[in-house]
Amino acid sequence: MEILRCEGVKKVYGSGGNQVTALNGIDLSVDQGEFVALIGASGSGKSTLLHILGSVDKPTEGTVIVDGTDLSKLNQTQAAIFRRRKVGLVYQFYNLIPTLTVEKNILMPLALDKKKPNQEYFEKVVSSLGIADRLKALPSQLSGGQQQRVAIARSLIYRPALLLADEPTGNLDQKNSKEIMDMLKLSNYNLKQTILLITHDEKVALEARRVITIEDGRIVSDEQRG
Amino acid sequence: MWKDYLSGYIKNNRTSGWSVRLSALICALLLSLLCGLFYNTWKYEVERIVLEEGGWHSRIMGNFDQEDLDTIKNFANVKEVLLHEEGSKGAEASIDMYFDDIRSVFSDVPHIADAIGVSPQKVVYHYELLAMYLIRDSKDTAPRLVFPMFILITVLASASLIVIIHNAFAVSMNARIHQFGIFSSIGATPRQIRACLYQEAAVLCAVPLLVGNLLGIAGSMGLIQLSNVILGSEIEGRHRAIPSYHPLVLLLTLSLTVLTIWISAWLPAVGLSRLTPLEAIKSAGELQLKRKRNSPFLLLLFGVEGELAGNALKAQRKALRTASVSLILSFMAFTIMQCFFSLSGISTRETYFEKYQDAWDIMVTLKDTELNTFKDTEALQNLAGVESAVVYQKALAKRLVTEEEISEEMKAFGGFSHASERDVTPMDGGWLVNVPLVILDDNSFLSYCEQIGIASQLDGAVIYNQIRDVTNPDFRHPDYMPYIKIPRANENHTSVLRQSGKEDQTVEIHVLAYTEEMPVLREEYATLDYYELVHVIPVSLWAEIQGQIKGAEEDCYIRVLAKDHGSPEALNTLQDKIVQLVGEKYPVESENRIQEYETNNKQIQGMKTVLGCFCILFAMIGVGNVFSNTLGFVRQRKREFARYLSIGMTPEELRNMFCIEALVIAGRPILISLFVAAIVVIYMLKLSYLTIGEFLAEAPILPIAVFMLVLSGSVALAYHLAWKNVRKIRLAEVLRDDTMM
Repeated sequence: MEILRCEGVKKVYGSGGNQVTALNGIDLSVDQGEFVALIGASGSGKSTLLHILGSVDKPTEGTVIVDGTDLSKLNQTQAAIFRRRKVGLVYQFYNLIPTLTVEKNILMPLALDKKKPNQEYFEKVVSSLGIADRLKALPSQLSGGQQQRVAIARSLIYRPALLLADEPTGNLDQKNSKEIMDMLKLSNYNLKQTILLITHDEKVALEARRVITIEDGRIVSDEQRG
Repeated sequence: MWKDYLSGYIKNNRTSGWSVRLSALICALLLSLLCGLFYNTWKYEVERIVLEEGGWHSRIMGNFDQEDLDTIKNFANVKEVLLHEEGSKGAEASIDMYFDDIRSVFSDVPHIADAIGVSPQKVVYHYELLAMYLIRDSKDTAPRLVFPMFILITVLASASLIVIIHNAFAVSMNARIHQFGIFSSIGATPRQIRACLYQEAAVLCAVPLLVGNLLGIAGSMGLIQLSNVILGSEIEGRHRAIPSYHPLVLLLTLSLTVLTIWISAWLPAVGLSRLTPLEAIKSAGELQLKRKRNSPFLLLLFGVEGELAGNALKAQRKALRTASVSLILSFMAFTIMQCFFSLSGISTRETYFEKYQDAWDIMVTLKDTELNTFKDTEALQNLAGVESAVVYQKALAKRLVTEEEISEEMKAFGGFSHASERDVTPMDGGWLVNVPLVILDDNSFLSYCEQIGIASQLDGAVIYNQIRDVTNPDFRHPDYMPYIKIPRANENHTSVLRQSGKEDQTVEIHVLAYTEEMPVLREEYATLDYYELVHVIPVSLWAEIQGQIKGAEEDCYIRVLAKDHGSPEALNTLQDKIVQLVGEKYPVESENRIQEYETNNKQIQGMKTVLGCFCILFAMIGVGNVFSNTLGFVRQRKREFARYLSIGMTPEELRNMFCIEALVIAGRPILISLFVAAIVVIYMLKLSYLTIGEFLAEAPILPIAVFMLVLSGSVALAYHLAWKNVRKIRLAEVLRDDTMM
């Protein structure tokens, strides 16, 4: 079942002589349960694509449909609610709310919807990510690896249609990087979570079953692995 | 290089620059106002001392001939020598000396005394005046508090301003930790970074510092002028203050302001320059919580937005400290001031103006005049426009009250058991009590007899036979009861008065009646000494007994009730007529009830204005801080907002969070102020024995509500403007920023 479809997605920044084309006609389709790595050099347009898929930004041209929702038709409020419910975003620098505890950070998307968490699912997520004993801590009291696990837990709490991870291991050492990748794979395998991972690190990309390469705003290769 | 960096930064960050400028302006204004007021107060005190005691520096007493005078005049430092007539006693002359250099008074005068052969005991110094120029001698043991008080107040003001305004610098500086980290990483020393920050402070503060000083000078002159308008010459012993200024005061104020602003800039600059390059580069200047905090109340009221707002406020606590303290202080001071003046107004009106509305309109004091020498009573009483006029004098005597004389009601509350020894002296056979004698002119005494329903006669006294239940402290609703038992018709109707201080001197007077009604006068009796037994007597009787018991006050009084006592013009005209009638023959001082009421109102309005200005200044500091904080939101909190938005918070929810923050910032000072004001009002009500209903009927709800609305509106405006800036944040741009951590 197709969970994501992009057709002719183009993103242009600036105007007149200062125009920069970040994405230049992206066509992409991702099925539910896939683990896709999007690889490309710095400035290739991969982060722009992730922002568009996460409804953080809008394409200049083209259509993006995630779980049946056309993102180009969403206003600011609808886009925010979409981000809350349909996508989980994981960033290189975690983006945790420094004034809230780990537990509240994880439950934040639900709290914004005034929803109570499914305790069983919550416990499953935090225990599988190995942060069950740090729930009352503040983000600043955690290591980088632990903070990234919290960010992953937060992105999974709403059982999103799509988990978008932007260089999630970019700020971590080798051991923590491996652990984070193992966890993403585990959630893909156990929870059937669709994951789109952005990285410039080929080794990290090879952990995914499908690797898409992007250059100068265009998809230049799309490979299925084992 | 720094110059380019600074000019570029100041140009591109006008809002943070304005908050620093505003802080500097307020600081300069307050300190300049304080110094200006002190200088004028000091000058006024010097003028007062010179007016009251003379401007001499030292005075020497003795028998002098021309040669001695020449010796003094020819002394190098002596400017002027004057013979002081009032100070001369008998054959001894008193000479006032004025010096060119008053700092050497204490060393020169002994030499002068020695040269003319006068003992040091015959020399006096004008310590009070000299102390005003900071010239002190160990023999002057009196406390001279003008300068110590000034230094204390100035240091306190300066320290408070540092606490308040250093935050404006901190906000501006901390926003650039990352930039300074970069400078540091390429080799800028902490000293260079500090120097850069000081230069920036100097550039931003130079103009506000001068403008603030000028405004402060103008303000101090304005306040002195205002005191002249409000108090004028209506306060006895007050002379007109002439607003003035001195270049040295300007120098002192400028130095003090520069020092205060420099310390305010130095505190955050030192902290910032001590950060290592790595710490500085890593810092995103973001608000963090050092330990876990909860906002359960806001969470309960507003949900997750409430909790986020509460946590954000806690993280901003340091930055908002100035705003919190200033807003709480201004709200509280304003509310309590309004309530205090309201209560005091009710109390003064009830206990003074309303009470005396039908008692007196014009009071004239005949200075150093015996009542029996005053011959114009009838002319006064027949003056057009006079409803009634009483001429009276007061005297003090003593009297013994025996156990048998005490009324049963008085015995019931304990008789004299509650009396202090200052008022009542226990003696064999009874208690010696104070007897205020109210000596009325004969006509008024006869009218008084009619008023209380007894035969009009001048050969006795009327005893005001009432005592307050001293066990009931409520002065507004006292319980009165008979003081002494009224003797039966066949018993002795006399009172034996004793001379105060010489109690063996007695005189026995006939008692015409015991009454519960005093003649209508301005004075109230038995308010301080509850046990005094007032005797009202006619002046003709006083003429007979004054030789034996003495004790009369030096002055006489005229109490006038006017026919048209509601019109200020009529009262002024009548007052002039009365002063004209009696003023030629007797030294008089006069006052009129409406004028006094208006003066009282003016004084209260003046005090309210001055205190209100201070409240507004505090509020301005608070609101200025809120603005400086919120206008820096885009720079300081964009990452925080981006985080909320990236996980799905809608713009409306973010706006709600802003509203909650504004509500807490404005609402907390209001709640705290109202709570404290309620406690203070309850306490004041208890002290003044007014009821809550009386207060509520005249509670200053409108001014308090307006003040609170204006301040809350300012906070709301600050957040509204901040919201307008924040909504322009493009989430994708913030997320693209590499420093987003």
